[in-house]
Formats: sequence, structure tokens, C-alpha cells
Amino acid sequence: MTLYACLHLAEFPAQALLRLQPTLRAQPVAVMEGRAPLEALCSLNRPARRLGAALGMTRLEAESIPGLKLLARNPQIESAAHNVLFEAAARFSPRIENLGTTTSSTLMLDITGTERLFGPPDALAQRLSKALTTLGFRASIAISASFHTARILAAATRGITLIPTGQEAPTLAQLPLAALNLPADDAQTFANWGIHTLGELAALPQDELIARLGQRALLWHQLALGTAPHSFQPVEPAFQLQEFFEFETPVADLDSLLFLGARMIDSLVARASARAFSLARLILHMELEKGAVCRRVIAPAIPSIDRKFLLKLLQLQLAANPPSAAVQRITLRAEAGQSSKVQLGLFAPQTPEPSRLDVTLARLKAIAGEDRVGSPVLEDTHRPGSFHLAPFAVSATPQKPSNASSRRTHLALRRMRPPIPVRVTVQAEKPTAFRDRQHTYAISAAYGPWKTSGAWWAAEGWDLAEWDVLAQATSGESLACLLVEDRQTRAWHLEAFYD
Amino acid sequence: MGTAAALRITLERSLQHRFPAALTPSARTIYETASTGIPVLDSLLDGGLPVGAISEISGQESSGRTSLALSFLARRTQDAQVCAWVDAGDALDPESAAANGVDLRRLLWVRCGTPAAKPQPSKPGTPMAATSALSQLDQALRSADLLLQAGGFAAIVLDLGSIDPASAMRIPLATWFRFRQAADHARTSLLVLGRDSYAQSSAALVLDCAPLRARAAGKAAHQTVLTSLEFHAERGRQRFAPAPTPIRKPPASTWSANCTWDISTAPATEKRA
Repeated sequence: MTLYACLHLAEFPAQALLRLQPTLRAQPVAVMEGRAPLEALCSLNRPARRLGAALGMTRLEAESIPGLKLLARNPQIESAAHNVLFEAAARFSPRIENLGTTTSSTLMLDITGTERLFGPPDALAQRLSKALTTLGFRASIAISASFHTARILAAATRGITLIPTGQEAPTLAQLPLAALNLPADDAQTFANWGIHTLGELAALPQDELIARLGQRALLWHQLALGTAPHSFQPVEPAFQLQEFFEFETPVADLDSLLFLGARMIDSLVARASARAFSLARLILHMELEKGAVCRRVIAPAIPSIDRKFLLKLLQLQLAANPPSAAVQRITLRAEAGQSSKVQLGLFAPQTPEPSRLDVTLARLKAIAGEDRVGSPVLEDTHRPGSFHLAPFAVSATPQKPSNASSRRTHLALRRMRPPIPVRVTVQAEKPTAFRDRQHTYAISAAYGPWKTSGAWWAAEGWDLAEWDVLAQATSGESLACLLVEDRQTRAWHLEAFYD
Repeated sequence: MGTAAALRITLERSLQHRFPAALTPSARTIYETASTGIPVLDSLLDGGLPVGAISEISGQESSGRTSLALSFLARRTQDAQVCAWVDAGDALDPESAAANGVDLRRLLWVRCGTPAAKPQPSKPGTPMAATSALSQLDQALRSADLLLQAGGFAAIVLDLGSIDPASAMRIPLATWFRFRQAADHARTSLLVLGRDSYAQSSAALVLDCAPLRARAAGKAAHQTVLTSLEFHAERGRQRFAPAPTPIRKPPASTWSANCTWDISTAPATEKRA
């Protein structure tokens, strides 16, 4: 037997805006739509309704209600919220039909045959309700064997409603005729006849009703009886891990951004986990004041669904590289990755734990600088001291020493960055002494010159003569250092010490 | 039971109230060490540098501290372990590291200090001005602390070789004590390179280094190629020594490091004092 579960989220524009702002849920909030000055109230929550707010109010009328917070309708936020809602519903059934309107979101789930997975319909409804509440939605749920009965009851009632098979007509009988959304003329006709509920409509003789109002009355009669047919049209949107939020006023406070980021990460983690995925990358796209754009990428070493870990990375990333201006809109997009499973070895050498290492690296970058932490990589050039830093990651296979000479200890250099300019005394084409700004050093032995040049065709070309010198300071301290003469400018520099 | 054993037990029982286990050797903990890659220094240090402890390698410029540290890291990275170099003075030369056999992919380099803000040193071979050294030192200490707490690093080199000793001496003892505890917990060898010894009682080993002589190729009057430098290393303090050192001249060794361009296969001169 076919069974349907209908999720109806009334006032969806307001729910979508309040989903990521739980602190506002208890406050009276109304959503305005349209261009100023012709804005009209299109959605509101229960506290706002209690204050006297109503649909269709102008901004002036709404602002006259004390304590009512007005928000602007945002289709992007509603779209993101709808995706989240759809993801949550898809965990209970793969066949979902979208019946949403402009101010509400309605999803019909074909739950036929799900008893063995989720238990009886009432248990499924409870789990569905709990899942939606966790995501910040408030939905009414109706389960019935009749598609339209579930739809009408979900829109007309609150909470969970279960309609036993065969009890559709009695259950629908108490509902007002407005539940069918009849055209105004026909609604007036029924009102003139004294028909106000679906039960009264169902009691009318079908043939005479069709003779007076036409074939469309057949559908209304069947709807009132709970026997209207429906051809199910399931939809399957593309799986996209993305959250969006637009602030009412630009936000420059990092804590506020992180509070919102935490909610977004929670949602993304839940959606990825539902499909047995992890988050491999988080891409934070921020639209700033005056049209500027800021982009941050968080790429953990291994895909993760640890929300605290991801939030910590986000915090460190934003602390190290804060946006240059207040943030107006935020889009957090995630790339799904496979959950990592690492086989640990009993005799494998100790290495840093990947997730902990990510946090440590982020903290180190916050201390020393973004581009000053990593693994050195030598560049393929003869230019002395050429290297760049690559992101540090624990490689699985160690590099084997190429030959026996690598087993020997070689003399190391300690570079001066930047090199220190010195004045050098040269006799018989050999340096005999050098002096910096304050001290003079006598050179006891000078070995060289080692001439090196390259890239003469470019601006960054070099033409150097290197001297290894043993120097004696006035204090008696002996030094072995590397002096370099730029043969183009004839300038001498203390490049490094041997140590 | 033999007569000697029975006699020993009898004596121990009779002296038990005054000397517990008088004739039984006391249990001794054998501490793990890791080879430096320089045999004569391994011999001097009874196996190498201690694991899970602080080792200080002190000395002036050109005393072989960096070559020794790189040689140690080379052995550790070749064993598929991960190391870090916290560079307070931004002085590490990656080419030297690669020449010594360090697997650069397994080396995390933290370059402290900002080049634009770094003032010129007042004198070659002397530390940075104290005003900048403080901030660089602070960065280096924080970085070393984070790496030790993260765990998983077989060796961490805290390079304070370019830092003014007057500034480094002001590092609180509590910091060194915390480093010692963290290194012990993480089984990390923490090497501190400096112009002086700073960690005091928290250091398990202090090795004093000094330059000895240079060797060059060719005849005396026409020597144009520097081939190696010889260094002197003296063991100043070793907490985990297997046998207590008698009070006399501390043990020392000389060792040498060849230049990268020296391809001669003859072993460098090394001797134990």
C-alpha cells in the first residue's frame, strides 16, 4: 500500500532567515518583500503574529508595532534553506515531490516500504520532526495513504497528524473550505449555499455538483472525500554542500562571523555525514562592503567531519587573515571527500596526528606569518640560496639517501637575510680585511673566487664572485664566512657564516 | 644455592635496617639516545643525543652547531620521522640541509621574524639588536611550545644562534621546564642552538662547541679551495650518563665537516680526547 508523508513549513521566508540565527527565533520577526517604499509584509513568526502583525502590512504599519524586528526577504537564503531541507528529507525517502509555494515549503515523501528502516509511520514522523528541529525548522507533518489528504492536512494542522487508511473523509470533514484554496467566485458560491467545511462539501451529490459548477468540482469533491488521484513526480536536485547568509548590516566582528560559521559548518557536516562523506575543503566567500570580495580556503590534511576541528581552522584562518572590511554576505561551500581510514602500524615511526597538525600549522602561521611556515623546496637554478616554502604535509615514503656521500657531514651555512653590506680591503686581488658599520675584521685566509652568473638576459640576473674567508675579530673571535662581490655593482656583502 | 649467594643474602638481611639491598646493584634506567651521524660525537655522548629531553649545543659562530644539528636531523628524517626547525634568526640554509641528507619534505621550517621589520645587525656574527630579538624570540618560543604540545615530531631544533645571549638568558626557567616536560611526554629530542647555555637544569645534555682549524686544498701558498673545518666539542653536562663522570677535565672530541664541493673519499680527521 502506498503511503505518503507531507512536510509543510509555513512562513518559510521567515524560517529560512531565522534558521542560522537561533537567538532571533523567540523574538517577533517579520519579513518584508518588495521595493521601497512599496514593501509589504510577506512572512512572520508566531511572536510577531501575537503582537498583531499580519500579512500584507506596509513597512510603515509594521514599524508602528513596537518590538517587531523587520528583515528583508532573501531568495538566496531561502534557496540554501530549501536545499538543507531537501537533504534532510532525502535521508528518509529517495522519492520526494516538491509542492512549495512562494511563502511556504512543502515536500511530499513517498515512504512506502520504509517500515523496516524507520519503524511504523508514527515513529518515522517523530524522527523526521526531530531531524528538522535540529536543523532549525518548524514543520507540520501529515501521513496518509492519500497524497492530497496528507498535503491538505499538513497545511491545515500543526504538529504530527496520522490518518488511518479509510479515515480520510472523516478526518478532513472538520476542515474549512479554504483548505482547498478555491477561486474566490466559487468560494463565494459555496458560502451562499451554506457550505463551509469539507465534510459538507463531501456530502453533496457528485453529479449535481458537477452539473452546476463544471468538471473542476469533481476534483474538489474527490479532495473532500480523500480519494483524489495523483501522479507522483519525484525530483532529485544535485548534491551541493553550500550555505549562504546575508547580514542586515555589515559585520566586522570576528566573533559574529564565527558564530554564523559554526552554524554553517554544523549544517554542512550533518549533510555530508548523511551521505557518508567528509569535508575535504571549505571555501569561504565573503562579499564585503563597497563591492570587495574576500576568499579563504581551508583544506585539512585529511577530510574530516569533526565540527570543532573545522571551526578551529576557520577561526585561525580568519584571525590570521581577517577580511579588509565589514562582511555583507557569506557563502560557505564545501567539497565532499571520502572519510579517511588510516591503517596504523605497530612499528611505524611516530608522526604528527593530521588533524592536530593542521591546527598547529594554522597557529604557527598566525604567529610567524602565512608564508613563513612550511617545507623548504630547492629551486631548479644555479642561483645561490634559491628556495621556496611548500605547505608542510607528512609524506608517506621517506626519501632515501642517494649515495654514500650523503652519509657524510657537510659544512652548513647560516644565511644572513638580508645580506649585510660590508667594505672590503683588497690586496693582490684578494680580500684582506672587511668592515661593517662598526667593526673591522682581519682576514687570515681567503679562498676563491668562485664565480657564478646566470639569467643575464633578465632583470633578475646575477654575476657574483664568492670568497670563503677566515676572519679574526678584534675580540679574538674567529669566524668562517662567505663574502660575495656583485661584479656588476662592485658591492660586497656578508652572505653567510659557516657553522 | 651457592655459598656466595647465601652469604650475600645473610649479610643483606643483617644490614637491612641500615642499608637496604646493600650488596645488590641498584636498578638503573637506560635512556634512549639517537645517533648524531658523527661517530666520534656518538662515542662522546654515549650513543648520541637523548630522546625525550633537551640538548643544548652552544658555541660562537663557526663552531659547528648547525652542521651537527643538520646531521642529526638527516638521520632522523631518513628513518621516516618528522622534524622541525624553529628558526629565530631566519638563518637556515636549505641547500646545506639538503647536502647533509635531510629529507626536506619531512622538515617543517618556521621562519620567525619579519624581514621587513628586521633591522641590520650591528656586527657580523653578533646577535640582533635586543629590541627585535625579543619579538623574534617570543615567536620562536611560542612556535616551539606549539610543536612540542602537538607531538609526533622526532626532533625539534630551536635555533637561537642569532639571538642576543642577554635576551635569551631572560627566558624564564618555567618555560624550559615546560619544554622539558613536553619533550619527555612527546618523546621528542629538543635541540637548542645558542651562543650560550640557557636551559640550565632542564637540559639533559650540554655540548660546548668551538672552531678549531680550517683545511684547504693545494699548497700552502696557493690554497684557493676551502675543504673542511674542524671543530672541538666538549661535553659540559649529561644528566643521563650511564657512568658518572669523574671530577677532572670534561670529555671532549674533535670532529670535522667537509665542504659540499669536497669529493675526496678520505675520512675526515676525528679523534676522541
